[in-house]
Amino acid sequence: MEAKETEVDDQDAAEEEEIDLAPVHEILDSFPSRNRRYLIPMLQKVQAVYRYLPDKALRLLMEGLELTRAEIFGVISFYPGLLITEPGKYIIKLCYGTACFVKGANIIANKIHETYHIHPGDTDEAKLFTLQTASCLGNCGAAPMALVGEDTYGTIDPEKSIELLSAYKLEDAPEQQAEEAASE
Amino acid sequence: MSTVVKKTVHFKINGKEASAPEGTVIIEVAKQHGVEITNLCYNQKLKPFAACRTCMVDIRTPEGKKELVYSCTQPVAEGIEIFTSTEETDRYNGACLEMLLVEHPLDCPICDKSGVCPLQDNTEALQLANGRFEIQRRNEPSDKSNPLIEFYLNRCIMCGLCVRACDEIQGVQALDFHERGMKTTIGTANQEPLDCEFCGQCITVCPTGALLDMSSQERGLAALFKTNHSICGYCSWGCTVQIETKKNKVARFVGDETNDLGINEGNLCAKGRFGHGIVHNENRIKSPLMNIGGTFKEVSWGEAIQTIVDRVQATINRSGSETVAGIGGEKLTNEESYLFQKLFRGSYGSNQITNLANMRAPYVNRFMVRCFENGINSKPVTEMEKSDVIFVFNSDLPSEYPVGGNSARKGAIFTGSDIIIANPRKVILKNEANIDIRLNFTLGSDAVVVNRMSRILIDQGIVNTKKIKSAVPNYDELVQSLASYTAEATQKTTGISDEVLTRAANRFGRTADRYLLIGNDIFDTGQGEDILNALLNLSILAHHGAEGSVSIFPPREHCNSQGVNDMGCTPEFLPGYSPITDSSALSSLASEWGVDSLQFSSDNPANDLLRNCADGTIKFLHIAGEDPVHSFYKGSEIKNALQTVPFLVVQDVYMTETAKLADIILPTTTYIEKEGSFTNMTRHVQKVTTATSPQNQSRTDHDIFVQLAEVFGNKLKNSSVAEVQDEISKMVPIYKGTLPGTKSRQWSPEGFKHAPCFQIPGAPQVTQRKKDFPFQLVSNNHMFHIGSYTQYAKALTDIGPECVAELHPEDAEALGVNDGDRIVIESSTHKVEVPMVANTVTVKGMVYLPKNWVEIPVNMLRNGEEGPVSIKISKAN
Repeated sequence: MEAKETEVDDQDAAEEEEIDLAPVHEILDSFPSRNRRYLIPMLQKVQAVYRYLPDKALRLLMEGLELTRAEIFGVISFYPGLLITEPGKYIIKLCYGTACFVKGANIIANKIHETYHIHPGDTDEAKLFTLQTASCLGNCGAAPMALVGEDTYGTIDPEKSIELLSAYKLEDAPEQQAEEAASE
Repeated sequence: MSTVVKKTVHFKINGKEASAPEGTVIIEVAKQHGVEITNLCYNQKLKPFAACRTCMVDIRTPEGKKELVYSCTQPVAEGIEIFTSTEETDRYNGACLEMLLVEHPLDCPICDKSGVCPLQDNTEALQLANGRFEIQRRNEPSDKSNPLIEFYLNRCIMCGLCVRACDEIQGVQALDFHERGMKTTIGTANQEPLDCEFCGQCITVCPTGALLDMSSQERGLAALFKTNHSICGYCSWGCTVQIETKKNKVARFVGDETNDLGINEGNLCAKGRFGHGIVHNENRIKSPLMNIGGTFKEVSWGEAIQTIVDRVQATINRSGSETVAGIGGEKLTNEESYLFQKLFRGSYGSNQITNLANMRAPYVNRFMVRCFENGINSKPVTEMEKSDVIFVFNSDLPSEYPVGGNSARKGAIFTGSDIIIANPRKVILKNEANIDIRLNFTLGSDAVVVNRMSRILIDQGIVNTKKIKSAVPNYDELVQSLASYTAEATQKTTGISDEVLTRAANRFGRTADRYLLIGNDIFDTGQGEDILNALLNLSILAHHGAEGSVSIFPPREHCNSQGVNDMGCTPEFLPGYSPITDSSALSSLASEWGVDSLQFSSDNPANDLLRNCADGTIKFLHIAGEDPVHSFYKGSEIKNALQTVPFLVVQDVYMTETAKLADIILPTTTYIEKEGSFTNMTRHVQKVTTATSPQNQSRTDHDIFVQLAEVFGNKLKNSSVAEVQDEISKMVPIYKGTLPGTKSRQWSPEGFKHAPCFQIPGAPQVTQRKKDFPFQLVSNNHMFHIGSYTQYAKALTDIGPECVAELHPEDAEALGVNDGDRIVIESSTHKVEVPMVANTVTVKGMVYLPKNWVEIPVNMLRNGEEGPVSIKISKAN
């Protein structure tokens, strides 16, 4: 199974080489059968392990479930929650629902773009943040709102949104940040 | 027809009484009754999908309840009334169409589908000229990231036909819907360049020109092109192609899905659709060439023909008629093949004509005749999709008969056909059959597998042995001969458990309409005749001992491999399979041809043509459209024979390896410039029409044979294609009523004697590997190449550029090679170096190498070896 990549291959392949695929085999075996009906829960479990869907893991799923590349990507691209590239350390889910939008979600998005040079869907160069928009986070009373990693923020002042994000650092432990954010 | 009978239901459509088999969808029934229902996403070859929502009809249930339903998914039911195009349905259907028109560009003048576009037709039918919505065109760049199929998604209406065709018809699933909602698009995974079988079925089914054929530069509405229908000149499946020309130049090939047109329902493969680059091509032989001292000099047609005739005359005078021989190409039309043997038998007085398939496997024709003698006439292949079981024997369908694969998949979906695949390679045929049995047997044990299946049929009483015994005289002998095919012995030899073989035998044996497709791979096993006999025995058992039917077809490789034999280009048979010694057939041919008498011996030098060329018995050889130096399995022997024969005439389109050895080369035409008929492997006689005139100075094979006869002093009474067809209809009884081929009718085997008989097999045996050569080489045509022309079609070399060897991943690992590395393949006679790829289609100990590259001469590796070639492999330095 361990096809050795030659040096000519591009960097992506070299990076992929380091991935331990044992969890994917475990996931495939953890379902009653290798049937395509389990594709979505399998994808979710794989993403829970790697934080995204590495190409090598997808190849194993394709083989195991007898799916073609087009089919599996057809499913993945349908769900914004499924990622095929490694996201930043924190995923910002910025609510773009009606209430949040009226209250300035797009201003927040612009601010983020000014500072981190990312549009929705992108990851910044340092791989700190991945920006995503959400259709509705279900808390319109606290518009505009966003999730940063595991943390929830409501009634964000668009002008101060960057300050809020600047508390997140690549090096810091997330608990620390959460405490800092809470104390503000 | 399937042995499973469907109930008929009765209903009314727009007030008229009608009936149809249960389960038929309303839109299909309507079409059959001449009622058109608007739609964009329905295709009778595909499962109902209901994406476009423009085919709504109004039905009343027997209880009088009104329902608005989509006619592409709703089946007819007993007692319903259907109303189409009511004010209400038009309003709904129109509203959905209007939404599509908001986005759809109106670039109709430069759109390939303009004029044959359902979007246009439906817009007109629903009178939507003045849309209510503001126009918001998409403006995305077109995707040309693969060599052949352009994606211009601005025109896409998201009907999903391409996605479904790719999945259901082709079994490839290279396309799918991506993203969702407003952003949904059709495409490949992650927008990677398309990498598929390049059948182009997606282009055929695309209603709006969102997918375009890039093998053609020509764009624009259908009316700008002159179209005609002809038969593809590559493999022996015999697909109808629609050739579109502009100013007498071939622009593109299109699949025409019109009902009952040919046998392929508009399905084509990469070769058939994109392989037209061989017509207008710089590399063609442009004028007759004469070999003068080792270099070819252009000569006039008059001089070339005169030289040939003089030489023939001199040879006959000096050494006798039978020293003049010919090889009839398997790409000649029936008319040309007939003329070729007429030229030899009637004018030259020589019976020394043959064809390459017959030289390799003379037993194939005998096998076919034996099928008829046993009463197995085989149904038309158009019925295969309605059969109950399809047994694919030693054929990689997607490469060998790709459109056959399409029919099998359709059968699996719509009829519930079961599929059995027997092959030493783990060939891929994705399909939706309920029962899909794979018999991956040890290479070389083909006949053992089949004989064991026969024994299971008898032992387990799956067939009615009493009936068989009374119908076939040597039944007991068969039973005795099968004694050694025990479960244990078979499993040991074939590697397949008896349980799996029993399942296969059961499925094949019980009541069913059965189709048996045999691949050309069997010739490379060294046991071709045994395998065909075994399959024949199996078929006879089912034919006499079980309900239903058996259709079995001899393997044929090229577009007219069947026809060239039907027309008597063999030393064994006259046209129509009369034995060469049949005096009544000979005398009627003699009187038709206006010659005194015809008499031939059954002992013919052409039966061993190579030896007789090499030892000087044959002094003149005329090869019409073949390249045996590259393709014949006895690589060095054929080369030696052709170098020795005193005079060699080759007529061909390109400068092949064989042509390079000729004394005179005559430039001839491709199938696209020809008129006549081809007979496919399932005996359908189909019309070939001229799409463009012969290029450069080339002439059709037909004209060349007529001129040779005339200059020889034997002017043919019948020389035009139509006249020759009349003569064939008269002289070849089996072809009566099949020409000119516009009906794609299968010739029926009349006039063959009734002589049921099993072919008694010997003990099980498998070819042994040679010492020091631990691997076995298997070879056949590449998916994108066949014969000697496809290498000149740019589109096909773009997608199939080089010869790549395939081996099992474990063998690759043991050798220390990765995909793309080069390996050396060495047999006892030859050595080649090729890049490799590892896959699990190839089994351990086997190397698969396509035979289509002149620089990788597989026939030199084989060099006369009848079975799998013993080879050794090593990593290239």
